[in-house]
Amino acid sequence: AAENQFSQQQQQQQQPQATAPSYYGQQQGEPEYINAPGYGQPPVAGYAAAGGVGQLADQFGQMGINGQKPFQLQTVNLLTSPPDPRELEVPPPQIRLPPGACLANTPLANAHYSYQRSTVNAIPNSGSIVGKSKIPLGLIITPYRSVKEGEEAVPVVTDTIIARCRRCRTYINPYVQFIDGGNRWRCCMCGMSNEVPQLFDWDQARNQPGDRWARAELNHAVVEFVAPTEYMVRPPQPAVYIFLIDVSHSAVQSGMVATATRTILENLDRLPNEDQRTKVAIIAYDTSIYFFSMSPESTDCTMLVMSDVDDVFLPKPNDLLVNLSECRASMESLLGRLNDMFAENHTVGSALGPALQSGFKLINPIGGKLIVLSSSLPSVGAGALKNREDPKILGTPKESGLLQTASPFYKTFAIECSRAQVSVDMFLFSAAYQDVATLACLPHYTSGQTYFYPAFNAARSEDAVKFAHEFGEVLAMPIMLEAVMRVRATRGIRMSSFHGNFFVRSTDLLAMPAVPQDTSYAIELQIEETISSPFVVFQTAILHTTCYGERRIRVITTAYPVTSNLSEVFASADQVAIATLLANKAVERTITHKLEDARDAVQSKLVEILQAYKTSMTAAGAGASAQLAVSENLKMLPVLVLGLLKNVGIRQSAQIPPDLRAYAQALLTSLPSQVLVPYIHPTFYSLHNMPPEAGTVGEHGVILPPPLPLTSERLERHGLFLIEDGQTLFLWVGRDAVPQLVIDVFDLPNYETLRGGKTREMRRGVYHPHL
Amino acid sequence: MSFEDVEERDGVRLSWNVWPSSRIEANRTVVPIAALYIPLKQRDDLPPVLYEPVTCKSTPCRAVLNPYCQIDIRGKLWICPFCLTRNAFPPHYKDLSSTNLPAELLPKYTTIEYTLSRPAQVPPIFLFVVDTCLDAEDLKALRDAIVVSLSLLPPFALVGLVTFGTMAQVHEIGYAECSKSYVFRGGKEYTPKQIQDMLGLSAQNRAAPRPGQPMPPQAFGAARFLLPVSQCEFQLTGILEALTRDPWPVASDKRPIRCTGVALSVAVGLLETTFPNTGARIMVFAGGAATEGPGMVVSNELKEPIRSHHDIDRDSVKHFKRATKFYEGLAKRASNNGHAVDLFAGCLDQVGLLEMKALPNSTNGVIVLSDSFATSIFKQSFLRVFNKDDQGNLAMGFNATFDVQTTKELKVSGLIGHAISTGKKSACVGETEIGIGQTSAWKLNTLNPHTAKAVYFEVVTPAGQPLQQGSRGLIQFVTHYQHSTGQMRLRVTTIARNFAEAGSPSIAASFDQEAAAVLMARIAVFKAEIDDSPDVLRWLDRMLIRLCQKFADYRKEDPTSFRLSDNFSIYPQFMFHLRRSQFLQVFNNSPDETAFYRHILNEEDVNNSLIMIQPTLMSYGLDTPPQPVLLDSVSIKPDVVLLLDTFFHILIFHGETVAQWRKAGYQDQEGYENLKELLEIPINDAQDLLTDRFPIPRYIVCDQGGSQARFLLSKLNPSTTHMSAGMYGANQAGGAGQPIFTDDVSLQVFMEHLKRLAVGAQTN
Ligand SMILES: [Zn+2]
Ligand SMILES: [Zn+2]
Repeated sequence: AAENQFSQQQQQQQQPQATAPSYYGQQQGEPEYINAPGYGQPPVAGYAAAGGVGQLADQFGQMGINGQKPFQLQTVNLLTSPPDPRELEVPPPQIRLPPGACLANTPLANAHYSYQRSTVNAIPNSGSIVGKSKIPLGLIITPYRSVKEGEEAVPVVTDTIIARCRRCRTYINPYVQFIDGGNRWRCCMCGMSNEVPQLFDWDQARNQPGDRWARAELNHAVVEFVAPTEYMVRPPQPAVYIFLIDVSHSAVQSGMVATATRTILENLDRLPNEDQRTKVAIIAYDTSIYFFSMSPESTDCTMLVMSDVDDVFLPKPNDLLVNLSECRASMESLLGRLNDMFAENHTVGSALGPALQSGFKLINPIGGKLIVLSSSLPSVGAGALKNREDPKILGTPKESGLLQTASPFYKTFAIECSRAQVSVDMFLFSAAYQDVATLACLPHYTSGQTYFYPAFNAARSEDAVKFAHEFGEVLAMPIMLEAVMRVRATRGIRMSSFHGNFFVRSTDLLAMPAVPQDTSYAIELQIEETISSPFVVFQTAILHTTCYGERRIRVITTAYPVTSNLSEVFASADQVAIATLLANKAVERTITHKLEDARDAVQSKLVEILQAYKTSMTAAGAGASAQLAVSENLKMLPVLVLGLLKNVGIRQSAQIPPDLRAYAQALLTSLPSQVLVPYIHPTFYSLHNMPPEAGTVGEHGVILPPPLPLTSERLERHGLFLIEDGQTLFLWVGRDAVPQLVIDVFDLPNYETLRGGKTREMRRGVYHPHL
Repeated sequence: MSFEDVEERDGVRLSWNVWPSSRIEANRTVVPIAALYIPLKQRDDLPPVLYEPVTCKSTPCRAVLNPYCQIDIRGKLWICPFCLTRNAFPPHYKDLSSTNLPAELLPKYTTIEYTLSRPAQVPPIFLFVVDTCLDAEDLKALRDAIVVSLSLLPPFALVGLVTFGTMAQVHEIGYAECSKSYVFRGGKEYTPKQIQDMLGLSAQNRAAPRPGQPMPPQAFGAARFLLPVSQCEFQLTGILEALTRDPWPVASDKRPIRCTGVALSVAVGLLETTFPNTGARIMVFAGGAATEGPGMVVSNELKEPIRSHHDIDRDSVKHFKRATKFYEGLAKRASNNGHAVDLFAGCLDQVGLLEMKALPNSTNGVIVLSDSFATSIFKQSFLRVFNKDDQGNLAMGFNATFDVQTTKELKVSGLIGHAISTGKKSACVGETEIGIGQTSAWKLNTLNPHTAKAVYFEVVTPAGQPLQQGSRGLIQFVTHYQHSTGQMRLRVTTIARNFAEAGSPSIAASFDQEAAAVLMARIAVFKAEIDDSPDVLRWLDRMLIRLCQKFADYRKEDPTSFRLSDNFSIYPQFMFHLRRSQFLQVFNNSPDETAFYRHILNEEDVNNSLIMIQPTLMSYGLDTPPQPVLLDSVSIKPDVVLLLDTFFHILIFHGETVAQWRKAGYQDQEGYENLKELLEIPINDAQDLLTDRFPIPRYIVCDQGGSQARFLLSKLNPSTTHMSAGMYGANQAGGAGQPIFTDDVSLQVFMEHLKRLAVGAQTN
């Protein structure tokens, strides 16, 4: 593999010599240099090392230079070739742009699919082709995916010269065309001719003429602009974290409070605070609200109890939301003592709504994150909920009612939060019904996250470790503040519906008060008019404030070829993106319709695709056939759909507690594809007969054994198996496992001494398939 | 025995000490039969009585056995003089004989105090309610004073702390982890139930303790907020010392937001929930008027001035009625539970005492007005509340109730003083109502050794019934209270007075003009509180004229023949000064001051009240020994030093010449020792007056012609005004006193009018 990689790099470097004529360049007699690719641009270091072999090959394919070759449609018979899970690691089909579409000659000129992927990598030029293919058209966007060590950081344009189309406001990108001697540029979305801004070719850092072709926005599909003041309605806000901690009897007794406070304490240094402006507040609540006043002068804090839960107010105008750096000592002392303060609390009940309102009053002038840790069903004040869990309706058409929001408070409050640039994260811990469906509504509309630890008990180290780790990651995570996201596309394509955690403000503007890393959004597309251009561009722009106080715009651009050829549509289809979109649509349907309808819709969508393929792409046509044919690149789709249908969020069952279902649905609509795939189709390993290199550390981390097809046929009585879905690890020990295996793995004498049950689970990192 | 001796023994002074025998005759004597009674009169000679009192078995009589009871030693019986029931002595009185009588039957113990066997369940409680809208110096002074007071409380006394500003905070002083308080919104009226719930005092929403684990008592209930001083002194001192100014911003054109009303309702609510019907004091410290929420006195806009008497007169005060009603409601709740509310104001302006007066008035709490908490008036007065008796116990009683019993000829008309009715409609309740009537029992809540209650009676015997030989009426005062040691005590005073036939000179001879003046003053003020109009003055005049008509010696229509006997002679003078006192002439004072003065008048004994009505004036000269002089402008002379005591003010006045000498510094020179002495003696005498005065009076030293001298001039009889030539002869040379700029009539003019009216002569 390494050899191959090298040769590809060689090839890449040689590309400048082998330039194809520019697409636009052919039209008029523009001077050659205008559309010339960036001569002498070195390939970006470390890029190739970031992904696996497959990724690399894919990136190569995306360069859109070595292939005007049509997509090769390779039909396979599903009935004769059982699904091989390794197929899921294969990247989506290449994006084969027409020659000259791109200004730059770098694989980075098209966004990596981990940022933005389409369900098809060749966009049908008309709605009728879409209709014929039956493949749903959509984009899966993960605008703020985490960038691990060794990966290239998103380049930043710091000179605040931002070229945008006057008409459609598209940001300049590698797919525009320079005209008029380089004084103007033509928009790739709407064709508008725009002036190149003054100073566009000026190197402000060195104060000398600069190299236009070195500008990051012309070479990178993922780029960040430092925004000038026109992009601000106020100076960039500091990061604000307000912790709302349930301290009722059960919360304290479960050890949640102790674990949560310890975790915050241990992660204070990891909390984004580069600019020393980060503000923090702690609010505890049971049926009353407990504020803590802290000051830089003292290590002590003062507790102020506000019990007027029907008419929430702040007990003090200052010192409740404090600068973390200034009040570090008293914050540490408070976190160290909070659990003791409530150790004898016998209060049962939760004034979650009033606690949220209190936190909101505190955070409202700035915006930021409300992080809620709650151990029970809200019972007091605004947003109080009734226990509506009814075993009798589980598995019946009425079940979907339990997945809907039970109280208008959560929607109204969420919108209020969204307006005030406030995001809500929910960490839920209840042993009894907590109405996750309703509570998850807040993160859903405010771009927050939901985490659920049913029947949390810190006395079990696996519970404590999982929560502490995940919570710690959330605390350490950089966030984009007061963000709005808009996706633009070439004329003829419309964003028709949006899935994910945000609030839709004014038709296509998604409001996201705090964007967490590694969260995905799905957007359905509609071809409104026949597209005549040879390729289309999708551009996602997120105007945001970094958590260290800088206003920026992150721009993600992907271009796709346009096709009128149905077989190209099938051949370029991205099965993982399709499954991701279907998961989002299915969850939405469970709420607007019924669980059953959602399952039916998913299943019939798959059947339609297979039928369409068979009818139009195989010799059998519409007639009966013993084959179940689909193209090579779609052959894992049926098993992914099956996995989705079996997922706790969707599956037919009268046994699934509504809280678990609601939580699974929250994951289905927010996990990025790379994590969603194992969540609906867990990875299955055999551990008792691993190859010798498995478990050793290789170039890309721990070497895992080859995954097995996800079928019980593979289970062996003497074996040990691992099943992993990103949320939970299952170890399966066969009844006839030899004692030595049991001794080695569990440090127990034999199979009989093993105990089943929960041990340890943890949400895994996104881009590291190993734990 | 003199009136004073009786007062020493029984703590009581009566307007009449021989009583008319019929209703008609009693009406003719004008001044009602009334008693000014001091329930907690300090008596060093009282024996400790450590057994339960013997009471009349007849309900609702329950009169207590006393020296006026007829006893049948052989039959082991006693006859209740109030209801005439025959009662058997209890078994342990079996050894009773004429030489072996229990203390309560000995004639010298007409006043006796029983220590009851069941002590109070709860020690006395002190709940401090502290304003934090104060500047740093003031707040520090207040904090320090409260910290000192902790050391004056018995170690077992329970204390608590509420602070307020924009919001009210109840401090959980029993909480060890950090300083913790419950916050209440200042602009909101909370029901008692809400307060109880919000403080976590109700049992709802609580998980059962796990088996074998007792619920820690600190975690709930009142013990979190009210702890024994000995246990929480350190913690509470820490909280007090950390108290800072209310953190909410105040614009320059605004008053601070101050939710005195909410703070009080929370304090009252806390106590009524946790310690109903037990001894407690809520001590409120207000640095300004309430500007927020229920009980708001004035808005926080500085351009809106705080109300004056004129505004109230014109009925143009926006918040007055609502605030008054709110505080009255609180006062009733506090009082019903035996809790007293004290008000300490530390503010140059008014704090809304007028609106809040129901609290101290209904609960017998104290009022101290001072310009700031950094003044010695506040500091010393506050600490004086915690005065100790000879045994080192706090000289105060708690949760007191007061019962009056009369023999059948007399009925109770009412009580004037700080109390509320318990609504006891016993047989001795009369038809005529004076003060708080329609009851024969009242709640007094807190008591101190000065507390004096005025009780008014009417004779109900119809005219024409022959008077039996030696017939007398009896009054029994029974005060039940919680001693500061935690004992429950019962003070019983039984007095008997003879009835006399109509026209008997013994009635006139029994007139106690001092007591009568004070008792009439209380009626006048009570009337004025309800309706501040000239009617009160006219009523007072009418009563005086009728009294003179009845008891003076004169020939009809001949004013010059008018003579009053000694024990009536200075009564008109008291009435003259009462008429022009701040108690009835309110317009020179703020409404708060008026409320304050009237409160004190209704609290004090005869002597102190007389000083308030007619201040005392001492004159000091170089050649003359110190002597009391007329409260008259003639007493102002250039070569004297005057010492005026109005009870509320103590003023040293240097005559013009003395002032010049002093300014020249002669007193420090050899050979002028007599001048030095002249300057010092009044100061020493003033110090003596201050020793047991409460509240501490304002102390003024001024010179003739100085601006402060107006305090003196306003009190003097204007015998020489800018209008008159002076009744002691026109243009008397030299020491004719200083003319006073006033339109008031002088005492002399007043007396002339009185004589004419009394004798039925034409007035000109
Ligand atoms: Zn455009
Ligand atoms: Zn009786």
